[in-house]
Amino acid sequence: MGDAAQEHRQWLEQMEAASRAKQASFMDGIARKLKRPRVTEAPAHPLRGAPDFWNAFELTPEERIEKFMSNWQSVGGHPARLADMDAVRKFITDKAKEMGAHYLIRQNEPELAALDLEGALPEAEVSVWNTDADVHWKARSAEADFGVVMADYAAAYTGTVTVLSSKDKGRSVSLLPTVLMIIIPVGRLKTKMGEPLAELDRAGRENLPAGAHFISGPSRSSDIENDLTIGVHGPGIVYALIVG
Amino acid sequence: MSAKTAAGTVKERAELALNDEFLRKAVKFTTERLRNGKKNASAEHGNWDEWRERGRQIRLHTIAHLDYYLNLFVENARANGVHVHFADTGADAVKIALEVARRKQAKTVVKSKSMVSEELHLNHALEGIGVEAIETDLGEYIIQLAGETPSHIVIPAIHKNRYQIADLLSEVAGEKLEADTTVLAGFVRKKLRENFLEADIGMTGCNFAIAETGSMVLFENEGNARMVTTLPKTQITLMGMERIIPSFRDLEVMATLLPRSATGQRMTMYMSAITGPRRTEDADGPDEMHIIIVDNGRSLQLGDPEFQELLNCIRCGACLNACPVYRHIGGHAYGGTYSGPIGAVLTPALNKNVAEWDDIANASSLCGACYEACPVKIPLHDMLIYLRRRKVEKGHGNKLEGAGMKGFAAVMGNAKRFRAALKMGQLGQKLVVRDGGIRTKLGPLKGWNSYRVTPSLPKHTFRQSFATLDQEIREGLKEMSPDIRARMEAAVKNRGNAGQGGGHGHG
Repeated sequence: MGDAAQEHRQWLEQMEAASRAKQASFMDGIARKLKRPRVTEAPAHPLRGAPDFWNAFELTPEERIEKFMSNWQSVGGHPARLADMDAVRKFITDKAKEMGAHYLIRQNEPELAALDLEGALPEAEVSVWNTDADVHWKARSAEADFGVVMADYAAAYTGTVTVLSSKDKGRSVSLLPTVLMIIIPVGRLKTKMGEPLAELDRAGRENLPAGAHFISGPSRSSDIENDLTIGVHGPGIVYALIVG
Repeated sequence: MSAKTAAGTVKERAELALNDEFLRKAVKFTTERLRNGKKNASAEHGNWDEWRERGRQIRLHTIAHLDYYLNLFVENARANGVHVHFADTGADAVKIALEVARRKQAKTVVKSKSMVSEELHLNHALEGIGVEAIETDLGEYIIQLAGETPSHIVIPAIHKNRYQIADLLSEVAGEKLEADTTVLAGFVRKKLRENFLEADIGMTGCNFAIAETGSMVLFENEGNARMVTTLPKTQITLMGMERIIPSFRDLEVMATLLPRSATGQRMTMYMSAITGPRRTEDADGPDEMHIIIVDNGRSLQLGDPEFQELLNCIRCGACLNACPVYRHIGGHAYGGTYSGPIGAVLTPALNKNVAEWDDIANASSLCGACYEACPVKIPLHDMLIYLRRRKVEKGHGNKLEGAGMKGFAAVMGNAKRFRAALKMGQLGQKLVVRDGGIRTKLGPLKGWNSYRVTPSLPKHTFRQSFATLDQEIREGLKEMSPDIRARMEAAVKNRGNAGQGGGHGHG
């Protein structure tokens, strides 16, 4: 395998050299067709992003909660507003018992560790993402009944939650389990999706996660006779728990 | 890009579609649902024209500086650890994708919806080297099993009913599946889960590419595109060279326009921004990521004042749903990868062979509904006229039609000739008029009379009757009844008073 890996690396290097050589002629070709020299300095882009009237649009914190919850509900998701993390623990454990969930997987985050789901659900198996190098974490997520994640941001106007990946935050946890529980601290709930998107611009390339996912409800499809089906590939049951 | 996927002319293919009653109803129902969804969603959001204008400006700006932004994207994607490749033609893109698959000794490739991949007929090429390519979008999976091509850019299996789908899936299952949407979708979910976890390569398209960060963005509702970009060890993304936008802030505008225009949703259930392969310590995401940037005729539109705006297209399908022609004949009648108004313009434009594709430019009523629907305001109806003009300029015009138009001009341009022609018509039609109409399907009358009746020429022309008409009207005015006259005089008097009162403020 060592040889094969070596050979593959060499091939990738060859392809990269070919790609770099091609790049110049590709860009020159574009400039030629546009009938002007190559543009190498950033052009002025005054109309970047949403119109001004939209950037000025802002909902009050209470309006945001209301709007987010009604949006989440309207696409077939289940929103709930909870007072604190104790209420979150109770909500998740009650649901797990009610639905007979045996396998839970959660992101490796302090807020979730503090929930102590392991203690609250002694008969269930709770896994913590990427805490053991010997576990096949993608498969572990696929067999989980519940996935539990923290939202990095949420946007009320479209009812959208943003989750960012890292070594402690698997993309699979919000994707593969049957039921998804997303916890949204109320301070992370913004008005518009433009706000988390602007954060990605601000962070810059070097600091972006491999996966930034914007989730607006359960997986769905209308591909068969326009008949809405929930839970086609991703989770069909999605709880958004707004805390605080 | 290879030749047509379906044989014959657009007329023959449309005939097939028009005779398929289920197809016609399904297309009508779906497009109406999507069109009304879009109308409601854009009205609910408000200021729709300002959003369209902003979307158009961002796309215009990016395409006008495409060399800068594409180059920036490539540099950033490379810095993220992506292997970037350039493909001038569809064949080049296929070659690169196959080479990656061979090097990876791939057995299966799971794919999420990609129009570029349809354009390249990539599945076929993968099968050729013994790699199984599995479409994972529910609609795409169904038409792949049926061995067909998508008939709608957003709802590819629009033309299949659930009984046909149940039959297709039952064959895969090896047991009879009930023709129930939930049962069928549940079966596909279970079946494809195994494929996602076992596949060697995940292959995607690309809705937008962010130049300033080297990220690629995907919009979807099912979660299959997330699976494809999260589970297999190798990811290949096929990207049209014009998919670029400068920043994530610009993405907010596209995310406002695309889902609302495509399906009437405020937002698709998932939008993912993928920035490079997995980080070293991540436990999911691909180890190796390739992006193949595809030209395949796109750059032919650059610098062409009539067609450059085609590159602004964000592939929402709103023009299909708005088009009265598409709503009747469905996607397959267009014969190419892209259907509807955008397909009628894009297919000949990408292929640069106006002659071969000329007929679909005629499959339009030029009503402009496509332009009204377009979230980035591409003047598709104007482009269809340019295409027709180019076709004639290149000598591919219809000779008979040309001769006919010349004759028409000769007759209409001269009053004596026109009168003589009318006389001849009035005499000649006696042979064919039955019950006040012409029903014969002889010669040039066939196209019209197959479904309609040509009215006969009246015994007297308007000109011949004009003297009498004029006389009648004058007499009629004299004989106006006293109360009508009184009302009219009162109205004239009122008008005068209102003017003096300055009611309209024009003083």
